[in-house]
Amino acid sequence: MTALARTWDRLTLPGKALFVLIPVLAILSVGLVVTLVLFGPFLWDLVLANLDIVRFVVAATILLVIFIPIAFIVIYMEMKVIALMNLRIGPERVGPWGTLFSVVHGLKFLLKEDFIPNRADAIVFTWAPVVVFSTAALAALVLPFAPGLYGQDFNLALLYFFAVGGMTVVGLLMGGWASYNKYSLLGGLRSAAQIVSYEIPLTLSVVGLVILAGTMSLNQIVLQQGASGWFTDWFAFRQPLGLLIFFLAATAEANRTPFDMTEADQEIVAGFATEYSGMRFAFFFFAEYVNVFIISAITTVLFLGGWNAPFPVPHFQIDIDPGSLGLGLLFVVGLAPLIGTLLLAAPIYLLRSRTRWWVALIVGFVLFNVLAGGLVFLWAYVSFDWVAGLFWFVGKTFALIFLFVWMRGTLPRIRMDQLMGFAWKWLLPVSLLNLFVTATAVIVIDLMRGTAA
Amino acid sequence: MSFLSQVVPGLGIAKGMALTLRRFFAPKATIKYPEQKPDVSVRFRGRLQLLWDENGLLKCETCFQCAQACPIECIDMGGLDTKGRFHVHWGPPETYGERREESAVRRSGRVVPDPAFEPFATFDLATVDQILAEHDHDPRHMLAILEGVQAAYGHLPVAALKRISETTGAWYAMLYGTASYYRHLRFEPPAAADQALAMADRRPSEDAYLAALGASLAGGSPSPRPPESRAPAKRRSDA
Repeated sequence: MTALARTWDRLTLPGKALFVLIPVLAILSVGLVVTLVLFGPFLWDLVLANLDIVRFVVAATILLVIFIPIAFIVIYMEMKVIALMNLRIGPERVGPWGTLFSVVHGLKFLLKEDFIPNRADAIVFTWAPVVVFSTAALAALVLPFAPGLYGQDFNLALLYFFAVGGMTVVGLLMGGWASYNKYSLLGGLRSAAQIVSYEIPLTLSVVGLVILAGTMSLNQIVLQQGASGWFTDWFAFRQPLGLLIFFLAATAEANRTPFDMTEADQEIVAGFATEYSGMRFAFFFFAEYVNVFIISAITTVLFLGGWNAPFPVPHFQIDIDPGSLGLGLLFVVGLAPLIGTLLLAAPIYLLRSRTRWWVALIVGFVLFNVLAGGLVFLWAYVSFDWVAGLFWFVGKTFALIFLFVWMRGTLPRIRMDQLMGFAWKWLLPVSLLNLFVTATAVIVIDLMRGTAA
Repeated sequence: MSFLSQVVPGLGIAKGMALTLRRFFAPKATIKYPEQKPDVSVRFRGRLQLLWDENGLLKCETCFQCAQACPIECIDMGGLDTKGRFHVHWGPPETYGERREESAVRRSGRVVPDPAFEPFATFDLATVDQILAEHDHDPRHMLAILEGVQAAYGHLPVAALKRISETTGAWYAMLYGTASYYRHLRFEPPAAADQALAMADRRPSEDAYLAALGASLAGGSPSPRPPESRAPAKRRSDA
């Protein structure tokens, strides 16, 4: 026993981890293989019989997983872009260009104590972040990311999106009320007033679009915007006022500057999140940054053509069958990195005599990876519709996120009464006007064409 | 422009957004301090400036730290004493250290030790007096006197500078300015002076600037002349 303990002590930390992991992995993989061999056909039939459920579960899982990198990227963008606009450098020490700073943030929140204040309503307090986050996750289920890449496509998707998205306020109110803190309560009530007020112009601004599109299915709306392949088909050009109202109201919905009364830290500490710490606090803001992504994504889907390219991309087919290369494939996979690195490193090493050979090799390897990655992406873009769609969708969405961050770096917060006045006195009448004009135009055009009944 | 911004809604917001976007691409002001040193003169000790708070009151609390740290004793101050009377200045500089402690007690209720303050070591001034006698205590021979003192001591001790100031009648501030103008005169023993030289080497722009200045003073020709154009400027204040 003592000999075993001594041997265990001599192992380094990675050694200990490997020592435990290897047998566990071995048992798991053996179990997997045995299960597949014994019940494989049966399981496959089960999957095929319940394809809808499987699809839904897979979509929900993938969404929950990709939320993490998305939130990290948005948080990093927020730190870096605002810093650059303030003539600072921003995060740059953790990871390349500070890109791992969000990860450190997450670790910090994990290590913090997670407490519930005295006399707080423990159950409501605990569930508030869950409600806030789950509304974000549920709203994302109907987003069409690319052709064939969506959680669920049904004919009331837009209505569902607004219904679920408006439930965020329930979570914020829960958090504000359960904290037993006047600042939390103020923040919760402010967020309730704000989100309920802005929900109305947000929804009304889209009604004109729904009249034009004739459907509430987000997938159909995106397909309609890609009819001719040019960006002029986007609803942004048929509903510019609708886009403006939608964007302003969405900014308020996502609690972004200049409408971030909910957590106006100079006035009410941190609003509804004052008493939260650790992972619960992190979840509130995780949900908030995911919300920024979702709001940008829905704006892209409704007004900016979703996954459609802004111009017709010439379609051509690349027929590469890797199997036809036979043994040559092995050489390509094995030797291409080596030869590519050497070829790209050679000019760098030869052109400047001061360059060390290993620096040239590293630069050559990086260049080769960039080149090969670009080629692979080009091949995927041409070969798969969903890669092309995802490219444009993500590009447009992150451009909008940049716009949100840019606004936060520029605009000051407005006052509470100005906030409410803006919603009720300006956005609501203008969105009604937009709806009226759109409906009239549709009727007039139908009459002119003689198609009206 | 102001008329336009009143008529066109959102023009102010657009202008603000354009400003931040320009800043986004502008060069950044951050200096990564431990790796990157700001490019300032070796003699730079910050700006002498009195600041006011939002109520229009002086922020200075007459703690005397600046007056005590000033190498040429050019900072002096007046202020209200504990009975609310205003004094133009608070006595001789030799007692700044004591009054710094007083003000520290007044502000924080305890004595705050100042590691920077150490009384000057006793110093043999006979050599300085001899050099001064050779030059007839004449402040016009200041450079020669200073060079002689440096030749005798290896550097210019503060006590020697004070003695020169007393006997020649030249202001200590003027003396300090003369001594710090010349690169070959130094206030610390050579090891520290080497560091100062190394710091000066990090400012490659200074030589070019001085060369261009000398060239423009000499003839106005834009072509920078070699560094000997600095020599006349040196000898002029020598005479």
